Amino acid sequence: MQIRIIKPGLLSTMQDTGRWNYLSQGMPISGAMDTLSSRIANLAVGNNAHDVVIEFTYGEAEFQAETDILLAYSGDGATLRVNSLPLPPDRPLFIPSGTNIHLANNPLGSRTYLAIAGGWDVAEVLGSKSTYVTAGIGGYKGRALEPDDLLNACGQLNETSARILQSLKGTTIKHSKWGIARWLFLPKYRKTVHVIPAHEFTWFAGKSVVDFLSTPYTVSIQSNRMGYRLEGPSIHRFVKQELLSTAVVPGTIQVTGDGSIVLLMADCQTTGGYPRIAQVAAVDIPLCAQLKPGDAVNFKEISRTDAEKLYIHQENQLDRLAIALKTDMLTVFR
Amino acid sequence: MQNMQTYTVNDFTIYPLSEYAVTLEFSHEINADILQLISKFNTLLHRKPFDGFCTTVPAYATLSVFFDPLEVIQSPHLRGINCFERISSYLSRLEDEEKNQIITENGTMTIPICYGGKFGPDLDEVARLHGMTANEVIHLHSTAIYHVYLIGFTPGFAYLGGMPGQLATPRKSFPRSVVPAGSVGIAGKQTGIYSLDTPGGWQIIGRTPLHLFNPNRAQPALLKAGDKVVFKAMEYDRFEHYNGSKDADTYH
Repeated sequence: MQIRIIKPGLLSTMQDTGRWNYLSQGMPISGAMDTLSSRIANLAVGNNAHDVVIEFTYGEAEFQAETDILLAYSGDGATLRVNSLPLPPDRPLFIPSGTNIHLANNPLGSRTYLAIAGGWDVAEVLGSKSTYVTAGIGGYKGRALEPDDLLNACGQLNETSARILQSLKGTTIKHSKWGIARWLFLPKYRKTVHVIPAHEFTWFAGKSVVDFLSTPYTVSIQSNRMGYRLEGPSIHRFVKQELLSTAVVPGTIQVTGDGSIVLLMADCQTTGGYPRIAQVAAVDIPLCAQLKPGDAVNFKEISRTDAEKLYIHQENQLDRLAIALKTDMLTVFR
Repeated sequence: MQNMQTYTVNDFTIYPLSEYAVTLEFSHEINADILQLISKFNTLLHRKPFDGFCTTVPAYATLSVFFDPLEVIQSPHLRGINCFERISSYLSRLEDEEKNQIITENGTMTIPICYGGKFGPDLDEVARLHGMTANEVIHLHSTAIYHVYLIGFTPGFAYLGGMPGQLATPRKSFPRSVVPAGSVGIAGKQTGIYSLDTPGGWQIIGRTPLHLFNPNRAQPALLKAGDKVVFKAMEYDRFEHYNGSKDADTYH
Protein backbone atom coordinates (compact mmCIF):
# COMPACT_ATOMS: atom_id res chain seq x y z
CA MET A 1 0.00 0.00 0.00
CA GLN A 2 1.30 3.40 -0.95
CA ILE A 3 0.16 7.01 -1.01
CA ARG A 4 1.64 10.09 -2.62
CA ILE A 5 1.42 13.46 -0.90
CA ILE A 6 0.02 16.08 -3.27
CA LYS A 7 -0.38 18.93 -0.78
CA PRO A 8 1.04 18.49 2.73
CA GLY A 9 -0.99 21.27 4.36
CA LEU A 10 0.41 23.54 7.09
CA LEU A 11 2.52 20.93 8.91
CA SER A 12 2.35 17.19 8.39
CA THR A 13 4.73 14.92 10.26
CA MET A 14 4.87 11.24 11.11
CA GLN A 15 4.38 10.57 14.81
CA ASP A 16 3.95 7.58 17.09
CA THR A 17 3.29 7.80 20.82
CA GLY A 18 6.69 9.25 21.62
CA ARG A 19 10.41 8.82 22.20
CA TRP A 20 10.65 8.18 25.92
CA ASN A 21 14.10 6.77 26.53
CA TYR A 22 16.36 9.72 25.77
CA LEU A 23 14.83 12.39 27.99
CA SER A 24 17.97 12.53 30.13
CA GLN A 25 19.91 13.45 26.98
CA GLY A 26 17.60 16.38 26.33
CA MET A 27 15.58 14.63 23.65
CA PRO A 28 11.91 15.72 23.76
CA ILE A 29 9.16 13.11 23.92
CA SER A 30 7.55 14.29 20.63
CA GLY A 31 4.91 11.89 19.27
CA ALA A 32 1.34 12.67 18.31
CA MET A 33 -0.04 15.76 20.04
CA ASP A 34 -3.39 13.95 20.39
CA THR A 35 -2.45 10.37 21.24
CA LEU A 36 -6.09 9.43 21.78
CA SER A 37 -6.93 10.09 18.12
CA SER A 38 -3.67 8.60 16.82
CA ARG A 39 -4.35 5.41 18.77
CA ILE A 40 -7.98 5.20 17.64
CA ALA A 41 -6.94 5.60 13.99
CA ASN A 42 -4.46 2.75 14.41
CA LEU A 43 -6.90 0.47 16.22
CA ALA A 44 -9.52 1.02 13.53
CA VAL A 45 -7.27 -0.61 10.89
CA GLY A 46 -6.16 -3.38 13.25
CA ASN A 47 -2.70 -1.92 13.99
CA ASN A 48 -0.92 -1.70 17.31
CA ALA A 49 -2.27 1.44 19.00
CA HIS A 50 1.22 2.90 19.37
CA ASP A 51 2.12 2.62 15.69
CA VAL A 52 3.24 5.64 13.66
CA VAL A 53 0.61 7.81 11.94
CA ILE A 54 0.62 10.99 9.86
CA GLU A 55 -0.31 14.06 11.88
CA PHE A 56 -1.95 16.71 9.68
CA THR A 57 -2.42 20.25 10.98
CA TYR A 58 -5.77 21.69 9.80
CA GLY A 59 -7.03 20.81 6.33
CA GLU A 60 -5.95 22.00 2.89
CA ALA A 61 -3.93 18.85 2.39
CA GLU A 62 -4.31 16.23 -0.32
CA PHE A 63 -2.92 12.81 -1.14
CA GLN A 64 -3.44 10.08 -3.69
CA ALA A 65 -3.81 6.35 -3.25
CA GLU A 66 -1.10 4.85 -5.47
CA THR A 67 -2.38 1.34 -4.72
CA ASP A 68 -5.51 -0.05 -3.07
CA ILE A 69 -5.28 1.06 0.56
CA LEU A 70 -6.94 0.38 3.90
CA LEU A 71 -6.77 3.39 6.18
CA ALA A 72 -8.52 5.15 9.03
CA TYR A 73 -8.44 8.70 10.30
CA SER A 74 -9.31 10.32 13.56
CA GLY A 75 -9.06 13.78 15.13
CA ASP A 76 -10.81 17.09 14.59
CA GLY A 77 -8.57 19.06 12.24
CA ALA A 78 -10.15 17.97 8.98
CA THR A 79 -12.68 15.78 7.24
CA LEU A 80 -11.39 13.46 4.54
CA ARG A 81 -13.25 13.86 1.27
CA VAL A 82 -13.23 12.19 -2.10
CA ASN A 83 -14.63 14.73 -4.55
CA SER A 84 -17.32 16.19 -2.30
CA LEU A 85 -18.13 12.95 -0.53
CA PRO A 86 -17.09 13.02 3.14
CA LEU A 87 -15.49 9.86 4.50
CA PRO A 88 -16.46 8.86 8.06
CA PRO A 89 -13.72 9.03 10.75
CA ASP A 90 -12.75 6.47 13.43
CA ARG A 91 -13.34 3.40 11.24
CA PRO A 92 -11.54 1.46 8.49
CA LEU A 93 -11.89 2.79 4.94
CA PHE A 94 -11.04 0.84 1.81
CA ILE A 95 -9.90 3.16 -0.97
CA PRO A 96 -9.09 1.90 -4.47
CA SER A 97 -5.90 2.79 -6.30
CA GLY A 98 -5.91 6.15 -8.08
CA THR A 99 -8.35 7.87 -5.69
CA ASN A 100 -7.59 11.46 -4.69
CA ILE A 101 -8.31 12.30 -1.06
CA HIS A 102 -8.66 15.84 0.15
CA LEU A 103 -8.57 17.09 3.75
CA ALA A 104 -11.25 19.76 4.25
CA ASN A 105 -10.89 22.04 7.28
CA ASN A 106 -12.94 21.05 10.29
CA PRO A 107 -13.69 24.11 12.45
CA LEU A 108 -13.91 21.88 15.53
CA GLY A 109 -10.19 21.27 15.98
CA SER A 110 -6.74 21.37 14.49
CA ARG A 111 -5.11 17.94 14.15
CA THR A 112 -6.01 14.83 12.18
CA TYR A 113 -4.30 11.43 12.25
CA LEU A 114 -4.00 9.01 9.36
CA ALA A 115 -3.22 5.35 9.97
CA ILE A 116 -2.65 2.70 7.31
CA ALA A 117 -3.09 -1.05 7.72
CA GLY A 118 0.30 -2.55 8.54
CA GLY A 119 1.66 0.79 9.76
CA TRP A 120 3.76 3.35 7.85
CA ASP A 121 7.13 2.02 6.79
CA VAL A 122 9.64 4.41 8.34
CA ALA A 123 12.70 3.59 10.43
CA GLU A 124 12.88 3.79 14.17
CA VAL A 125 15.37 6.37 15.44
CA LEU A 126 16.32 6.19 19.12
CA GLY A 127 13.43 3.89 19.86
CA SER A 128 10.68 5.85 18.11
CA LYS A 129 9.38 6.68 14.65
CA SER A 130 8.29 10.17 15.69
CA THR A 131 9.60 13.12 13.72
CA TYR A 132 11.50 15.74 15.70
CA VAL A 133 12.08 18.41 13.08
CA THR A 134 14.47 20.55 15.18
CA ALA A 135 17.05 17.75 15.28
CA GLY A 136 16.05 16.42 11.85
CA ILE A 137 15.37 12.91 13.09
CA GLY A 138 12.65 10.27 12.85
CA GLY A 139 9.59 9.99 10.65
CA TYR A 140 10.05 10.57 6.94
CA LYS A 141 13.65 11.76 6.44
CA GLY A 142 13.53 13.70 9.69
CA ARG A 143 11.31 16.38 8.21
CA ALA A 144 7.75 17.50 7.56
CA LEU A 145 6.07 15.94 4.53
CA GLU A 146 6.40 17.65 1.16
CA PRO A 147 4.62 17.31 -2.18
CA ASP A 148 5.48 14.10 -4.05
CA ASP A 149 6.69 12.23 -0.96
CA LEU A 150 5.80 8.56 -1.42
CA LEU A 151 4.77 6.83 1.78
CA ASN A 152 4.57 3.06 2.03
CA ALA A 153 2.89 0.75 4.47
CA CYS A 154 4.77 -2.19 5.97
CA GLY A 155 3.87 -5.11 3.72
CA GLN A 156 2.96 -7.71 6.28
CA LEU A 157 -0.58 -7.36 7.68
CA ASN A 158 -1.50 -8.91 11.00
CA GLU A 159 -4.55 -11.15 11.20
CA THR A 160 -6.90 -8.39 12.33
CA SER A 161 -5.91 -5.97 9.56
CA ALA A 162 -6.04 -8.74 6.97
CA ARG A 163 -9.59 -9.67 8.01
CA ILE A 164 -10.74 -6.04 7.96
CA LEU A 165 -9.22 -5.64 4.50
CA GLN A 166 -10.85 -8.83 3.29
CA SER A 167 -14.29 -7.61 4.39
CA LEU A 168 -14.04 -4.21 2.63
CA LYS A 169 -11.90 -4.94 -0.43
CA GLY A 170 -13.43 -4.23 -3.84
CA THR A 171 -13.39 -1.70 -6.67
CA THR A 172 -15.13 1.14 -4.84
CA ILE A 173 -14.67 3.10 -1.62
CA LYS A 174 -16.12 1.15 1.27
CA HIS A 175 -16.15 1.63 5.02
CA SER A 176 -17.18 -0.56 7.92
CA LYS A 177 -20.58 -0.16 9.49
CA TRP A 178 -18.96 -0.02 12.90
CA GLY A 179 -16.82 2.83 14.15
CA ILE A 180 -14.97 3.62 17.35
CA ALA A 181 -16.93 6.01 19.58
CA ARG A 182 -14.15 8.49 20.25
CA TRP A 183 -16.49 10.95 21.97
CA LEU A 184 -17.04 8.40 24.72
CA PHE A 185 -13.39 8.90 25.66
CA LEU A 186 -13.39 12.65 25.25
CA PRO A 187 -16.67 14.52 24.75
CA LYS A 188 -16.80 16.75 21.68
CA TYR A 189 -17.08 20.51 22.27
CA ARG A 190 -15.72 20.33 25.82
CA LYS A 191 -13.48 23.32 26.43
CA THR A 192 -12.78 22.72 30.11
CA VAL A 193 -9.32 21.35 30.80
CA HIS A 194 -8.67 19.58 34.09
CA VAL A 195 -5.49 20.58 35.88
CA ILE A 196 -3.60 19.39 38.95
CA PRO A 197 -1.88 22.10 41.05
CA ALA A 198 1.84 21.92 40.27
CA HIS A 199 4.76 22.08 42.70
CA GLU A 200 5.07 25.90 42.67
CA PHE A 201 1.29 26.43 42.85
CA THR A 202 1.61 28.15 46.24
CA TRP A 203 4.14 30.66 44.87
CA PHE A 204 1.36 32.59 43.16
CA ALA A 205 -0.90 35.33 44.55
CA GLY A 206 -4.37 34.24 45.66
CA LYS A 207 -6.11 36.49 43.16
CA SER A 208 -4.01 35.09 40.33
CA VAL A 209 -4.89 31.54 41.31
CA VAL A 210 -8.58 32.48 41.31
CA ASP A 211 -8.16 34.15 37.90
CA PHE A 212 -6.38 31.09 36.56
CA LEU A 213 -9.15 28.74 37.66
CA SER A 214 -12.13 30.92 36.78
CA THR A 215 -11.30 33.05 33.73
CA PRO A 216 -11.05 31.69 30.21
CA TYR A 217 -7.60 31.81 28.58
CA THR A 218 -7.20 32.18 24.83
CA VAL A 219 -4.70 30.26 22.73
CA SER A 220 -2.44 32.81 21.03
CA ILE A 221 -1.03 32.68 17.54
CA GLN A 222 2.38 31.91 19.11
CA SER A 223 1.54 28.26 19.47
CA ASN A 224 3.13 25.17 17.96
CA ARG A 225 4.08 21.59 18.77
CA MET A 226 6.43 22.82 21.51
CA GLY A 227 3.77 24.72 23.39
CA TYR A 228 1.02 27.29 23.44
CA ARG A 229 1.18 30.80 24.76
CA LEU A 230 -2.14 31.54 26.48
CA GLU A 231 -3.66 35.00 26.77
CA GLY A 232 -5.67 36.03 29.80
CA PRO A 233 -5.25 37.67 33.20
CA SER A 234 -1.55 37.82 34.02
CA ILE A 235 -0.34 35.71 36.93
CA HIS A 236 1.54 37.34 39.81
CA ARG A 237 3.81 35.53 42.18
CA PHE A 238 4.81 36.55 45.66
CA VAL A 239 7.60 34.03 46.03
CA LYS A 240 10.41 35.67 44.09
CA GLN A 241 12.83 32.77 44.52
CA GLU A 242 14.47 31.53 41.33
CA LEU A 243 13.61 28.01 40.28
CA LEU A 244 16.50 25.83 39.19
CA SER A 245 15.76 24.14 35.87
CA THR A 246 14.07 20.83 36.46
CA ALA A 247 12.15 18.27 34.40
CA VAL A 248 8.95 19.41 32.69
CA VAL A 249 6.57 17.36 30.55
CA PRO A 250 3.81 17.97 28.00
CA GLY A 251 0.89 19.49 29.90
CA THR A 252 3.07 21.49 32.28
CA ILE A 253 1.76 25.06 32.60
CA GLN A 254 4.60 27.51 33.23
CA VAL A 255 4.37 31.17 34.22
CA THR A 256 7.02 33.23 32.48
CA GLY A 257 8.78 36.32 33.85
CA ASP A 258 6.14 38.74 32.58
CA GLY A 259 3.28 36.77 34.20
CA SER A 260 2.03 35.12 31.04
CA ILE A 261 1.18 31.47 30.72
CA VAL A 262 2.76 28.81 28.53
CA LEU A 263 1.26 25.35 28.14
CA LEU A 264 3.96 22.87 27.11
CA MET A 265 3.11 20.32 24.42
CA ALA A 266 4.64 17.25 22.72
CA ASP A 267 7.94 18.75 21.44
CA CYS A 268 8.66 20.69 24.65
CA GLN A 269 12.12 20.92 26.18
CA THR A 270 12.89 18.26 28.75
CA THR A 271 13.72 20.79 31.49
CA GLY A 272 12.49 24.26 32.31
CA GLY A 273 13.19 26.97 34.84
CA TYR A 274 9.88 28.82 35.03
CA PRO A 275 7.64 28.18 38.03
CA ARG A 276 4.77 25.86 37.27
CA ILE A 277 1.24 26.68 38.31
CA ALA A 278 -0.46 23.50 37.14
CA GLN A 279 -0.20 20.25 35.21
CA VAL A 280 -2.91 19.31 32.72
CA ALA A 281 -4.46 15.91 33.49
CA ALA A 282 -2.95 13.44 31.00
CA VAL A 283 -6.41 12.41 29.74
CA ASP A 284 -7.11 16.04 28.73
CA ILE A 285 -3.93 16.57 26.69
CA PRO A 286 -5.71 15.37 23.51
CA LEU A 287 -8.28 18.10 24.08
CA CYS A 288 -5.46 20.68 24.28
CA ALA A 289 -3.93 19.19 21.12
CA GLN A 290 -7.09 20.05 19.21
CA LEU A 291 -7.12 23.72 20.32
CA LYS A 292 -6.26 26.37 17.78
CA PRO A 293 -5.32 30.04 18.05
CA GLY A 294 -8.33 32.03 19.23
CA ASP A 295 -9.94 29.15 21.14
CA ALA A 296 -10.75 29.83 24.78
CA VAL A 297 -10.28 27.25 27.53
CA ASN A 298 -11.23 27.11 31.19
CA PHE A 299 -9.05 25.35 33.71
CA LYS A 300 -10.70 23.31 36.41
CA GLU A 301 -8.91 21.80 39.38
CA ILE A 302 -8.87 18.04 39.84
CA SER A 303 -6.99 16.01 42.45
CA ARG A 304 -3.89 14.11 41.41
CA THR A 305 -5.50 10.89 42.60
CA ASP A 306 -8.58 11.45 40.43
CA ALA A 307 -6.41 12.34 37.43
CA GLU A 308 -4.51 9.08 37.91
CA LYS A 309 -7.77 7.11 38.14
CA LEU A 310 -9.06 8.70 34.92
CA TYR A 311 -5.77 7.90 33.19
CA ILE A 312 -5.72 4.27 34.29
CA HIS A 313 -9.40 3.87 33.38
CA GLN A 314 -8.79 5.26 29.88
CA GLU A 315 -5.74 3.08 29.27
CA ASN A 316 -7.71 0.02 30.35
CA GLN A 317 -10.60 0.98 28.05
CA LEU A 318 -8.22 1.36 25.09
CA ASP A 319 -6.64 -2.02 25.87
CA ARG A 320 -10.09 -3.60 25.99
CA LEU A 321 -11.02 -1.95 22.72
CA ALA A 322 -7.91 -3.43 21.09
CA ILE A 323 -8.84 -6.89 22.35
CA ALA A 324 -12.46 -6.49 21.20
CA LEU A 325 -11.26 -5.55 17.73
CA LYS A 326 -9.02 -8.61 17.63
CA THR A 327 -11.77 -11.00 18.66
CA ASP A 328 -15.54 -10.61 19.01
CA MET A 329 -16.23 -7.60 16.93
CA LEU A 330 -14.77 -8.99 13.74
CA THR A 331 -17.33 -11.74 13.66
CA VAL A 332 -20.27 -9.34 13.78
CA PHE A 333 -19.34 -6.19 11.93
CA ARG A 334 -20.01 -7.38 8.45
CA MET B 1 -4.21 22.04 50.06
CA GLN B 2 -4.72 18.29 49.80
CA ASN B 3 -3.39 18.16 46.27
CA MET B 4 0.00 19.48 47.13
CA GLN B 5 1.11 16.05 48.12
CA THR B 6 4.76 15.54 48.98
CA TYR B 7 6.69 12.76 50.65
CA THR B 8 9.85 13.52 52.55
CA VAL B 9 12.73 11.18 53.31
CA ASN B 10 16.26 12.00 54.46
CA ASP B 11 17.95 13.21 51.30
CA PHE B 12 14.99 14.34 49.23
CA THR B 13 11.35 15.34 49.01
CA ILE B 14 9.21 13.60 46.40
CA TYR B 15 6.47 15.48 44.57
CA PRO B 16 4.26 14.39 41.66
CA LEU B 17 5.13 15.80 38.23
CA SER B 18 2.35 14.11 36.25
CA GLU B 19 0.43 10.83 36.18
CA TYR B 20 3.57 9.13 34.86
CA ALA B 21 6.41 10.93 36.65
CA VAL B 22 7.56 12.06 40.09
CA THR B 23 10.36 14.46 40.99
CA LEU B 24 12.85 13.94 43.79
CA GLU B 25 14.02 17.31 45.08
CA PHE B 26 17.43 17.06 46.76
CA SER B 27 18.13 20.74 47.28
CA HIS B 28 17.32 24.28 46.22
CA GLU B 29 20.85 25.15 45.21
CA ILE B 30 23.57 24.12 42.81
CA ASN B 31 26.61 22.41 44.25
CA ALA B 32 28.91 19.52 43.48
CA ASP B 33 27.87 17.45 46.53
CA ILE B 34 24.21 17.52 45.54
CA LEU B 35 25.17 16.64 41.99
CA GLN B 36 27.05 13.61 43.26
CA LEU B 37 24.16 12.55 45.48
CA ILE B 38 21.74 12.73 42.52
CA SER B 39 24.14 10.90 40.26
CA LYS B 40 24.63 8.16 42.84
CA PHE B 41 20.93 7.69 43.45
CA ASN B 42 20.28 7.66 39.70
CA THR B 43 22.81 4.87 39.20
CA LEU B 44 21.31 2.89 42.06
CA LEU B 45 17.78 3.26 40.66
CA HIS B 46 18.88 2.07 37.22
CA ARG B 47 20.51 -0.92 38.85
CA LYS B 48 17.45 -1.66 40.97
CA PRO B 49 14.42 -0.45 39.02
CA PHE B 50 10.85 -0.97 40.22
CA ASP B 51 8.12 -2.61 38.10
CA GLY B 52 7.08 -0.11 35.43
CA PHE B 53 10.20 2.07 35.72
CA CYS B 54 10.96 3.84 32.42
CA THR B 55 13.66 6.48 32.67
CA THR B 56 15.01 9.41 34.68
CA VAL B 57 15.85 13.05 34.04
CA PRO B 58 18.58 14.43 36.31
CA ALA B 59 18.70 18.22 36.70
CA TYR B 60 20.59 20.70 38.94
CA ALA B 61 18.96 19.70 42.21
CA THR B 62 16.31 17.18 41.19
CA LEU B 63 15.94 13.73 39.71
CA SER B 64 12.66 13.04 37.91
CA VAL B 65 11.56 9.45 37.59
CA PHE B 66 9.28 8.31 34.74
CA PHE B 67 7.15 5.18 34.87
CA ASP B 68 4.21 3.36 33.33
CA PRO B 69 1.24 3.90 35.70
CA LEU B 70 -0.50 0.69 34.59
CA GLU B 71 2.49 -1.48 35.46
CA VAL B 72 3.05 0.34 38.74
CA ILE B 73 -0.54 -0.02 39.88
CA GLN B 74 -0.67 -3.71 38.91
CA SER B 75 2.69 -4.65 40.45
CA PRO B 76 2.47 -7.14 43.33
CA HIS B 77 5.83 -5.83 44.61
CA LEU B 78 4.81 -2.23 45.24
CA ARG B 79 2.65 -1.12 48.15
CA GLY B 80 0.25 1.80 48.26
CA ILE B 81 -3.17 2.84 47.02
CA ASN B 82 -1.91 4.92 44.09
CA CYS B 83 1.18 5.26 41.92
CA PHE B 84 2.60 8.17 43.92
CA GLU B 85 2.48 6.22 47.19
CA ARG B 86 3.79 3.04 45.61
CA ILE B 87 6.78 4.76 44.03
CA SER B 88 7.50 7.02 47.00
CA SER B 89 7.70 4.09 49.38
CA TYR B 90 9.94 2.17 46.96
CA LEU B 91 12.29 5.12 46.50
CA SER B 92 12.56 5.80 50.21
CA ARG B 93 13.47 2.15 50.87
CA LEU B 94 16.05 2.41 48.11
CA GLU B 95 17.46 5.50 49.75
CA ASP B 96 18.22 3.52 52.90
CA GLU B 97 20.28 1.10 50.82
CA GLU B 98 22.06 3.99 49.18
CA LYS B 99 23.82 4.79 52.46
CA ASN B 100 25.91 1.67 51.97
CA GLN B 101 26.88 2.34 48.37
CA ILE B 102 30.44 2.98 47.32
CA ILE B 103 30.89 6.22 45.45
CA THR B 104 32.21 5.71 41.97
CA GLU B 105 33.79 8.72 40.31
CA ASN B 106 32.76 9.45 36.76
CA GLY B 107 35.63 9.76 34.28
CA THR B 108 36.93 13.07 32.99
CA MET B 109 36.16 14.14 29.45
CA THR B 110 38.54 16.50 27.69
CA ILE B 111 36.84 18.81 25.23
CA PRO B 112 39.00 20.70 22.73
CA ILE B 113 37.89 24.25 22.04
CA CYS B 114 39.01 26.68 19.41
CA TYR B 115 38.66 30.01 21.26
CA GLY B 116 37.94 33.39 19.67
CA GLY B 117 37.93 34.43 16.02
CA LYS B 118 34.95 33.35 13.96
CA PHE B 119 34.27 30.53 16.43
CA GLY B 120 34.11 32.81 19.46
CA PRO B 121 32.68 36.15 18.32
CA ASP B 122 32.03 37.34 21.90
CA LEU B 123 35.46 36.51 23.36
CA ASP B 124 36.76 40.08 23.06
CA GLU B 125 33.53 41.48 24.49
CA VAL B 126 33.72 39.15 27.51
CA ALA B 127 37.39 40.09 28.04
CA ARG B 128 36.58 43.80 27.81
CA LEU B 129 33.70 43.50 30.32
CA HIS B 130 36.04 41.96 32.88
CA GLY B 131 39.05 44.14 32.10
CA MET B 132 41.09 41.15 30.97
CA THR B 133 42.87 40.19 27.80
CA ALA B 134 41.36 37.49 25.57
CA ASN B 135 44.22 35.16 26.58
CA GLU B 136 43.43 35.63 30.25
CA VAL B 137 39.81 34.63 29.59
CA ILE B 138 40.98 31.55 27.65
CA HIS B 139 43.41 30.63 30.39
CA LEU B 140 40.78 30.89 33.14
CA HIS B 141 38.16 29.07 31.11
CA SER B 142 40.45 26.20 30.09
CA THR B 143 42.09 25.51 33.46
CA ALA B 144 38.94 24.99 35.54
CA ILE B 145 37.33 21.62 36.21
CA TYR B 146 33.64 21.47 35.33
CA HIS B 147 30.74 19.20 36.11
CA VAL B 148 27.82 18.53 33.80
CA TYR B 149 24.81 19.65 35.79
CA LEU B 150 22.14 19.19 33.22
CA ILE B 151 21.53 18.02 29.67
CA GLY B 152 18.58 19.96 28.28
CA PHE B 153 17.35 22.91 26.22
CA THR B 154 18.02 20.90 23.07
CA PRO B 155 19.15 17.26 22.75
CA GLY B 156 22.70 17.00 24.07
CA PHE B 157 23.04 20.64 25.20
CA ALA B 158 25.32 20.55 28.26
CA TYR B 159 25.04 23.00 31.15
CA LEU B 160 28.33 23.03 33.07
CA GLY B 161 28.98 24.28 36.59
CA GLY B 162 32.42 25.15 37.96
CA MET B 163 33.37 28.15 35.83
CA PRO B 164 35.65 30.64 37.65
CA GLY B 165 33.46 33.41 39.12
CA GLN B 166 35.54 36.13 37.40
CA LEU B 167 34.13 34.99 34.05
CA ALA B 168 30.43 35.34 34.98
CA THR B 169 28.83 37.40 32.21
CA PRO B 170 25.19 38.27 31.55
CA ARG B 171 23.48 36.89 28.44
CA LYS B 172 23.45 39.04 25.30
CA SER B 173 20.61 41.59 25.20
CA PHE B 174 19.61 40.32 21.78
CA PRO B 175 19.82 36.58 21.16
CA ARG B 176 21.35 35.43 17.88
CA SER B 177 18.95 33.73 15.52
CA VAL B 178 21.45 30.93 14.90
CA VAL B 179 24.24 29.74 17.17
CA PRO B 180 26.18 26.92 15.45
CA ALA B 181 26.39 23.48 17.08
CA GLY B 182 29.54 23.08 19.19
CA SER B 183 29.57 26.74 20.27
CA VAL B 184 30.78 27.25 23.84
CA GLY B 185 28.98 30.01 25.65
CA ILE B 186 28.73 31.81 28.96
CA ALA B 187 25.47 32.83 30.60
CA GLY B 188 25.72 34.20 34.13
CA LYS B 189 27.79 31.76 36.22
CA GLN B 190 27.31 28.87 33.83
CA THR B 191 29.13 27.76 30.77
CA GLY B 192 27.52 25.49 28.21
CA ILE B 193 27.91 23.89 24.81
CA TYR B 194 25.30 24.15 22.06
CA SER B 195 24.42 20.78 20.56
CA LEU B 196 22.40 21.86 17.51
CA ASP B 197 22.20 24.99 15.38
CA THR B 198 19.59 26.92 17.37
CA PRO B 199 18.79 30.48 18.38
CA GLY B 200 20.59 31.48 21.55
CA GLY B 201 21.59 34.38 23.78
CA TRP B 202 24.76 33.09 25.44
CA GLN B 203 28.11 34.90 25.03
CA ILE B 204 29.96 32.70 22.55
CA ILE B 205 33.70 32.45 23.25
CA GLY B 206 34.71 29.40 21.21
CA ARG B 207 33.66 26.23 19.50
CA THR B 208 34.43 22.52 19.80
CA PRO B 209 34.54 20.26 16.73
CA LEU B 210 33.07 17.42 18.83
CA HIS B 211 29.48 16.47 18.18
CA LEU B 212 27.58 17.02 21.40
CA PHE B 213 24.66 15.26 19.80
CA ASN B 214 24.63 12.58 17.15
CA PRO B 215 21.53 10.38 16.77
CA ASN B 216 23.62 7.64 15.12
CA ARG B 217 25.70 6.99 18.24
CA ALA B 218 24.55 4.44 20.81
CA GLN B 219 24.53 7.32 23.31
CA PRO B 220 23.43 10.29 21.17
CA ALA B 221 24.46 12.84 23.81
CA LEU B 222 28.26 13.10 24.26
CA LEU B 223 27.95 14.10 27.92
CA LYS B 224 25.67 13.07 30.75
CA ALA B 225 24.76 14.71 34.02
CA GLY B 226 27.49 14.10 36.59
CA ASP B 227 30.38 13.89 34.08
CA LYS B 228 33.56 15.78 34.85
CA VAL B 229 34.79 17.98 32.00
CA VAL B 230 37.95 19.93 31.24
CA PHE B 231 38.51 22.19 28.24
CA LYS B 232 41.70 22.30 26.20
CA ALA B 233 42.45 25.18 23.85
CA MET B 234 43.09 23.99 20.30
CA GLU B 235 44.50 25.65 17.20
CA TYR B 236 42.34 26.64 14.29
CA ASP B 237 44.04 24.10 11.97
CA ARG B 238 43.40 21.25 14.37
CA PHE B 239 39.73 22.24 14.50
CA GLU B 240 39.44 21.84 10.75
CA HIS B 241 41.07 18.41 11.07
CA TYR B 242 38.53 17.20 13.59
CA ASN B 243 35.56 18.85 11.98
CA GLY B 244 33.72 16.35 9.86
CA SER B 245 36.11 13.51 10.72
CA LYS B 246 34.99 10.51 12.67
CA ASP B 247 37.19 11.69 15.52
CA ALA B 248 34.48 14.23 16.24
CA ASP B 249 32.41 11.38 17.64
CA THR B 250 35.08 9.34 19.37
CA TYR B 251 37.57 11.84 20.80
CA HIS B 252 37.93 11.52 24.56
